[in-house]
Amino acid sequence: MIYLATFYWGWLLASLLLGFAMGWVAVVHRGRAVSKPIARWLAVLVAALVAAALARVVPGRPGYWLDLGLIMFALYLAGCAVGSWLRDRVLSGDAKAA
Amino acid sequence: MHGLFRWSSKWWPGVIPLVIFWVIAAWTSTAPLEADLAARSTASLKDTVLDKSRIAVAGRDVTFAADAFSEEGRRSAVASVEAVPGVRLVDDETRLVPEAKPFVWSAERDVVRVTLTGSSPLPASKGKLMEAARAALGGVEVVDQMNLSRGAPPRFDDAALLLIDQVGKLKDGKIAISDNKVSLSGIARDIGGREAIAAALKNLPEGFSVASNEIKAPPYIFQAYKDPVAVTLTLTGYVPDNNIHPAIVAAAGRKFFSEKVVDNLKTSVGAPGGFAGAVVPALGALSRLSTGTLVVSDREVKLSGDAFYDAAPAQIRNSLLKDFPQGWQLKAEISVKPAAAPVDATVCQQLFSELLGKGTIRFESRRSTLDPDSAGLLDRLVETALRCPTTNIEVAGHTDTDGENAANQALSEKRAQAVVDYLVKAGLPASRFTAAGYGSTQPVAANDTDQGKAQNRRIEFVVKE
Repeated sequence: MIYLATFYWGWLLASLLLGFAMGWVAVVHRGRAVSKPIARWLAVLVAALVAAALARVVPGRPGYWLDLGLIMFALYLAGCAVGSWLRDRVLSGDAKAA
Repeated sequence: MHGLFRWSSKWWPGVIPLVIFWVIAAWTSTAPLEADLAARSTASLKDTVLDKSRIAVAGRDVTFAADAFSEEGRRSAVASVEAVPGVRLVDDETRLVPEAKPFVWSAERDVVRVTLTGSSPLPASKGKLMEAARAALGGVEVVDQMNLSRGAPPRFDDAALLLIDQVGKLKDGKIAISDNKVSLSGIARDIGGREAIAAALKNLPEGFSVASNEIKAPPYIFQAYKDPVAVTLTLTGYVPDNNIHPAIVAAAGRKFFSEKVVDNLKTSVGAPGGFAGAVVPALGALSRLSTGTLVVSDREVKLSGDAFYDAAPAQIRNSLLKDFPQGWQLKAEISVKPAAAPVDATVCQQLFSELLGKGTIRFESRRSTLDPDSAGLLDRLVETALRCPTTNIEVAGHTDTDGENAANQALSEKRAQAVVDYLVKAGLPASRFTAAGYGSTQPVAANDTDQGKAQNRRIEFVVKE
């Protein structure tokens, strides 16, 4: 894993930053939210993909692409979480100041 | 925490650029990643002995095919590829090198090429054998048709290296190892090569034994060439030992009274039985030819050339067959030299004197039997007599002063008669010759030294119109 991270750390960093930006924006975003049933289905899908990756059932190049996609997605989510949390902190700080 | 769920429902738009990133990342990183993993996997096998090793990478999955030389080596090779960082799965297509039973290896030589075939235990030993073959057979093409197999007997390399050295001593033939049995066939390149190989086989590594050794010695060759232009007799080839060598050279010197003997003989073991007993008379036969070649190959004697007169070929052949030891064969291809131009009596006398000045007709001591060593000289005298057919010739015998006069007189007459008999047997008319004996009455040198006496014991040809 460390080998892979060193191999395409640029893309991982890009995913993380993208997630951070999205998370930062999401707090104040007024657009459409994903409905709960769809979110559940998506969670199941992601869980299935993670299970497939861990079980190493997808062979060859598609297997590699799956791993790559999941790692990028995980970092994206982490970025989102951090971004949203920080933005929330910033906003609540502003509110208190106001 | 609740907030995180709320916010997460609005994270989805970022997934669109993320997917684009993912596609680009997959597009650009796959090939370099595969190349890098292939290089690392190959490097991890550097110290492992494998044959036909092949690595193919798809994504992070490595397909690894190779022939290993032991189960342990096979497993450790697979493990070292699995241990390469980044490798996800190893598709193990390795197998063991097939086991050869029996384990057969051979080196075959024809004149210009050596072919190594059969099984070799490891790539390293294969390389070592090829290298040794090239070194031992400088200049000869070495062809590698060996494959790799398991099941070699212990110390196989040492045995094969020793045998490769022996291949260098063969002209053609085959040396093979089957498990731990060695078999050899073919012909040694040099006289003595067969014996050298037999001696070397005693050093085979422990456990190996010679199942059959059918190496033949090359033919034992002795050659003599009489060159009428250079007036030489060239001896080449082999003689059995240092006693027979000078004896043969001395016999050649006696038989070839006017030729210079060029001695290029070498001494070697392996001569056929009765060698000297056959070669000395064969040289005598060659001395009776004007030009000719004698080739003794094992027990076969080939004599070819031109005799001086019509009756000679049959005489030469018959006397040789009579003198040969048992088991020796003669192949004679003797033709007769075209008759030389006739000359008048004066020239004829001159030619006789020249011949008898170079050589002396010899007899057995105190007897009138012609020495076979003088046959060459006598044939030359016959040839000269044929060139002046109208002349009459007196064959005069002389002795030294040793012994009683009456005995010397009788001896000189008998010796002169023996020479006349020889000439008549050669086909010359008896009416042209008279045999005369002069005993010791006409010395040409003082009789007080052995040398002078030897000069006085002589036959002279006197041409009479």
